[in-house]
Amino acid sequence: MSEITRTGRKRRPPRNPAKLVLGLWAGLFVVFLLLPMVVVVAVSFSSASFVSFPIPGFSLRWYARAFDYAPFMSSLLTSIELAVAATLVGTLLGIPAAIAVARSRHPVANAMSNFLLTPLSMPEIVLGFALLYFLASLRIGSGFLSLLIAHSIVAIPYISRTVMSVYRAIPASHEEAGAVLGASRFQILRQIILPQIMPGVFAGGMFSMLISFDNVSLSYFFGSAHTSTLPVVMLSYMENQFDPSIAAISTIQMLIAIVTLFAIHRAYGIQRLTSM
Amino acid sequence: MSTLPDAPAPRPNRAYRLARNSWALPALAFLLLFFAAPLIRNTLTSFSGAEEGSGQYFDNYIRLFTDAFYAGVLLETLKVSVLVTLICLVIGYPVAYFMVRYAGRWNPFLVFCLIAPLLTSIIMRTFGWEVIFARKGLLNLFLMDAGLISRPLDLLRNPVSVYIGLAHVLAPFMVLSITAVLQGADRRLEEAARVLGAGPWRTFLNVTWPMSLEGVMTGSILVFVLTNGSFLTMLLLGGGTVKTLAMLIYQQFNLTQDVAFASAMGNVLLLIALIGLVLQSRVVSRRRAK
Repeated sequence: MSEITRTGRKRRPPRNPAKLVLGLWAGLFVVFLLLPMVVVVAVSFSSASFVSFPIPGFSLRWYARAFDYAPFMSSLLTSIELAVAATLVGTLLGIPAAIAVARSRHPVANAMSNFLLTPLSMPEIVLGFALLYFLASLRIGSGFLSLLIAHSIVAIPYISRTVMSVYRAIPASHEEAGAVLGASRFQILRQIILPQIMPGVFAGGMFSMLISFDNVSLSYFFGSAHTSTLPVVMLSYMENQFDPSIAAISTIQMLIAIVTLFAIHRAYGIQRLTSM
Repeated sequence: MSTLPDAPAPRPNRAYRLARNSWALPALAFLLLFFAAPLIRNTLTSFSGAEEGSGQYFDNYIRLFTDAFYAGVLLETLKVSVLVTLICLVIGYPVAYFMVRYAGRWNPFLVFCLIAPLLTSIIMRTFGWEVIFARKGLLNLFLMDAGLISRPLDLLRNPVSVYIGLAHVLAPFMVLSITAVLQGADRRLEEAARVLGAGPWRTFLNVTWPMSLEGVMTGSILVFVLTNGSFLTMLLLGGGTVKTLAMLIYQQFNLTQDVAFASAMGNVLLLIALIGLVLQSRVVSRRRAK
């Protein structure tokens, strides 16, 4: 930040109008970003029997209602199980694939690494729709298994992406040294590489869990009467009713997400995620 | 993976590679089966007309492109995506510039604010806008207090709320794409321009903007493609005033179950996404080539 110009003077003019205007703009942008969430959190503590903002008084009745409403709680559980399971599948399939293609400059490896990331760029509503009819033709109906398949498709690229970028940053000499010293492939993987790519696995895994946790477009097609994810249940609730219990369950969901985000930050650093 | 072969003797002329190509097979098989195959099957379905064996493979597409209603939806989809991309660029670029050049110790806070909404439920954010845009909501109260309007506006059945909702969801992607590139831009070029007598605007237009163009491209493609695929915001905030392909797919699935036609609509969205992906890889490979 403190480049010295040729004249040897520090470039820090006392008043920079551009900085002021841009800073104001960024401040407004932050307000714009946070406003709807602040409103929802506030509404969740409302004592009114209808949605209104500003709220007339404080109460926890809508949290009580959210906890009492069985579909919210059972689908929250399903969502958490699904997020963890899909991330496990993504980790088991994604890590070896990422290591296999990351360093190769072969065109086939290049194509494979592109293919691994492709699911991230496809419209999920199309993928969900297509997968539903495909699974039906394989006689796999709606339910946890098809949800797991759908969410794993997205988990694989999230984990491969972070693992690839971390693995590329590790010098190849670490593996070569291990090989020269007689370590087996498995030993090199377990004792040299895995510990070093762990931050990437962790960050990618957390991301894939959070994305799965919030997914509507894919989950929408695979929910059954017994297994449905929280966002889908919330959507159908919202299409029929408009009361603050949606705000309460949203706030609970956000808290879970924020705790997870802090876990990423502690393990990996948010800053590094933005440069990918 | 039961028997692992011994490590090969290190060959001096070739770099040691830990991984075998076969390690990628499970993931590739999974994605080929559950990602590629369904989309291919979807494409085939879209070519099957209502009447079996009539040989009219392109019926669904002809209907999609020539029927006044569906052609209108197609155009509306593209219009919404272009407009949202432009809005995100106009909102996001100054924020990205501020973050890279001036934010300093505020940068982590701004990054947090950008990422936090990405990780809260999209339903929550849409619900928040519904509360704000409601007849007796925050915005109407504010506008009435300011004396700008005399009667509350019906904002929830208005395209404006869809645009605001989409910009809210997607602007962070634009900002993050631009900051990623702007961070790597060589500031000495800007300083050189200033030393050589260019004003701040000229420096920006002739030096900074071209250097950040890759980020702008990446962000724009991303926002464009994501807008194409989104339907929740249109559904909950538009009240039927903004009809796009993704929303129609959602409705066709819910109501009419015309699978072949929905497949055709999905295929058009897919094609747009693929074009975006190809453009994206061009941008990236150009950067790598430099």
